[in-house]
This record gives sequence, structure tokens and C-alpha cells, in this order.
Amino acid sequence: MVAIQTNLPTHVSHAKSSSMTDKIDHTQLSAWLKEVADARCKIAFTHLFKFFAPKIQRIARSKFPNEAQSHEVVQDTMSNVWRKAHLFDSDKGAATTWVYTIMRNVTFDILRKIKSNREDNLSDDIWPIAESAAAEEQPYEDHLENKQLLRVIEALPETQQEVVKGFYLMEMSQEQLANHLNLPLGTIKSRLRLALAKLKVHLGEDND
Amino acid sequence: MIKHHPKFELLEAFVNGDLPASLSIAITIHAEMCPLCQQKILQLTEQVAEQSFEEDVISLDDLDSPNYSDISIDDDLESDALFDSMISNITFSEDVVEVVKPTNKNVTFKDKTYVLPTVLSNIGFGKTANVGKLSRSRLQLNEDEIHTNLLHINAGGGVPAHTHKGFELTVLLDGSFTDHEGEYNKGDFIMLDGTFTHTPVSENGCLCYTVANDALHFTQGINKLLNPIGSFIY
Repeated sequence: MVAIQTNLPTHVSHAKSSSMTDKIDHTQLSAWLKEVADARCKIAFTHLFKFFAPKIQRIARSKFPNEAQSHEVVQDTMSNVWRKAHLFDSDKGAATTWVYTIMRNVTFDILRKIKSNREDNLSDDIWPIAESAAAEEQPYEDHLENKQLLRVIEALPETQQEVVKGFYLMEMSQEQLANHLNLPLGTIKSRLRLALAKLKVHLGEDND
Repeated sequence: MIKHHPKFELLEAFVNGDLPASLSIAITIHAEMCPLCQQKILQLTEQVAEQSFEEDVISLDDLDSPNYSDISIDDDLESDALFDSMISNITFSEDVVEVVKPTNKNVTFKDKTYVLPTVLSNIGFGKTANVGKLSRSRLQLNEDEIHTNLLHINAGGGVPAHTHKGFELTVLLDGSFTDHEGEYNKGDFIMLDGTFTHTPVSENGCLCYTVANDALHFTQGINKLLNPIGSFIY
């Protein structure tokens, strides 16, 4: 019972967070990071600091009993943001994800230092901050999704396939397709509608 | 083809930084070979990051925390002064950090040389111990009762059946082995608890990254377990 009660609210907050993403001004955060990287701009850094530091401190307080250690997390995280800003690439992900990675890594290394008495700073090997990994994932994802999409399209009846491929892959208009296939416009429209309904079902299932 | 993956809860704990180094490394090794899990980790990280830095959202976890009263109000003036001095300390230096990708280590067991995953590049290894067709080398991670090893099974070798009190994790770095459940291949992430008994055999040899604890307290919640190697491995 207890477990259920404490779990429930967490789940609610999980669900909420995706719809609340617009609360964070990602474009602004990325712009500040870029100014820090390109111009060593202290004003931009101060903005970043004021945005992130209180939140980092709050999170660190929940992991460390000791206030000095939570300050260390803030200090080390923000110091890495200052010194590694040039490694941030907004094409690869949000500024929040990047700063989170740094914060989590700093925290991991400090905890490990306390628990295992090791200063081996393994976190950057476990979760590389600036690395090909993130760069390679994007194309992979697209590639995968395209492949999956094509497979689903190819499973459609021939008549629907040619309409979908013409409209989406070759970017022909519905009128052009009607001419090209020598069919009434209404037929093109209804085939397209049927095909899309099927695609939705398949992709919805597979994407879950 | 990778068939065995870390459970969602494990990936979540990994992203949160809550797992010990040994298990975090195991997931990194698996994810490097498994685009599926790599993608899940990426998405989870984005979500957790988003939640962590949302404006003015006090999570319910904080409200439950006994420290909440200290956390929320804080002494604003004091922390402003602290933050200001941090900012000037940090920005005082113009230095930037360049990240150099570490060089992968090689390891040789019984004449066979393997290139180890990048994540192991900065970790020390103990001397190799051999028993029959088994060889193991311990990773110097200093995690008390959690022991981490590279385990090599020479072609035709196997591990005698036994049970284990804690959990035992195997990530297959190279080669394959089989037990009564079937065949395991490169990249498979196999987590077993002490309730399992099996006798893995490797026809063509294999190299595994293994993590085991002998304690009773870590077994809850980590199910489905491979239990290959007994005290030698541990």
C-alpha cells in the first residue's frame, strides 16, 4: 500500500513533465551556452548560472547530507559548463540534457570518492559528455524509422502504396497523382486516407 | 543478435546515476552494442533532465523529504553571495577542457587477444587467475562486496553448476555460451539471482564482463539471473 501511494504521485509528475517542456526556454539556454563557448561571455554564463545553480543545489541536497558537498556539486558542474561549453552541440540535444549529464557525472564521481575512496573519475567514460555516441544516434534513429516506415508502406495494398509513395516520397500533389495514375481525384483522396489510417495503426503499435 | 537487455528500472537507475560503477559500466558496454537500449537511455536522459530543470516546479519527492523546509526557503542572501563568488571564481580562468577519447585496452587470455570496450580504458586489472579452461581478471573498482571480473572461457569450457546468494550479471563481450535456456551471444546482458542454477558451456570460447555480490541484501528487485561461476568468479 505504502509503495503504491508514494509511487503514484511520481508517475503523475512524470506524465506532466512532457507537456510542461515549454516552460523551459531551450533556445535561450542554447544561445547562452554558445556565447560562453564563442566569446567566453561572463554575462551569458551568469544567466546560465542563475538558471541552473539553484536547481542543481536542490537536487544535490537530496543526494548528499552535507551542505559542503552539495556546494561542491554546484561548483564543479558549473565550472565544467564554463570550461566545456565549446563541446556542447545544440544539434545533438537540449542544453538541459547536456548540463544534466555534467551534473550527474560530477555527482557520481563525488559519491564514488566517498564510498569507494577512488578518485578515478569514471563518469566521463561511462557517460561521455562530448562524443561521437550522441552524434551517431541521430542518423541511426532516422535510418531505423525510415526503414520501418518503408516496411509498413510496402505492406499496404499496391493501389494505396503508389498513392502514398507518390504523395509523400515523391512529393507530388493529389492532382498530379490523379493525372499521373489516370484516376479521379476522389479516389486518390480516399486511398490516401485509408493508407494513412493503416500506417497509423502499424506505427503506433511498433513505436510503443 | 542481442536478445537479453537490462530491465527498464535498471536503465532508469543508470540514467539517474544511482547504480554502482560496476553495473553502470555493464550498461554502457551493452548500450554500445545495442542501439535499442542506447536510444532508450537517450530518451530517458532527456526526460530526467527536463524534469530536473523545470522552472518553479517543486517535485512531490521534495515535499516528502524531511529536509524540505531547509531546501525551499534557504537563506537567499547567503546563497546569493555564495553564488556570486562561485561565478567569479569559475570565470576567472579562461582555460577550456579538451576531451580526449581514451585508447582502448587490449587483453590476452590463452593466446587470444581482445580489444576491450572504451569504458574500461581507465580501469586497472588484477593478475589473471586460471582454473582449467576458465581465466579471470579482477577490475579494481573497490566496491566492497560487489566484485567485477573479466571472465574468459576457453573453447569447450564451462562453469560447474552452483547457486549464488546475491545477483550475478554477465555481459558477453565476445563469443557465445549456452545453457538449458538457450544460446547467449555477444552483447547479451544477463542478470540472474540466486534462485537460478545452470551450467553454461562455451563451445567456441567467450569473454564476459561479470559483476557479482555475495550479499543477501542486493537481490530484491533484480530478477532473472544468470548464475554461472561460483566463488572463483566472485
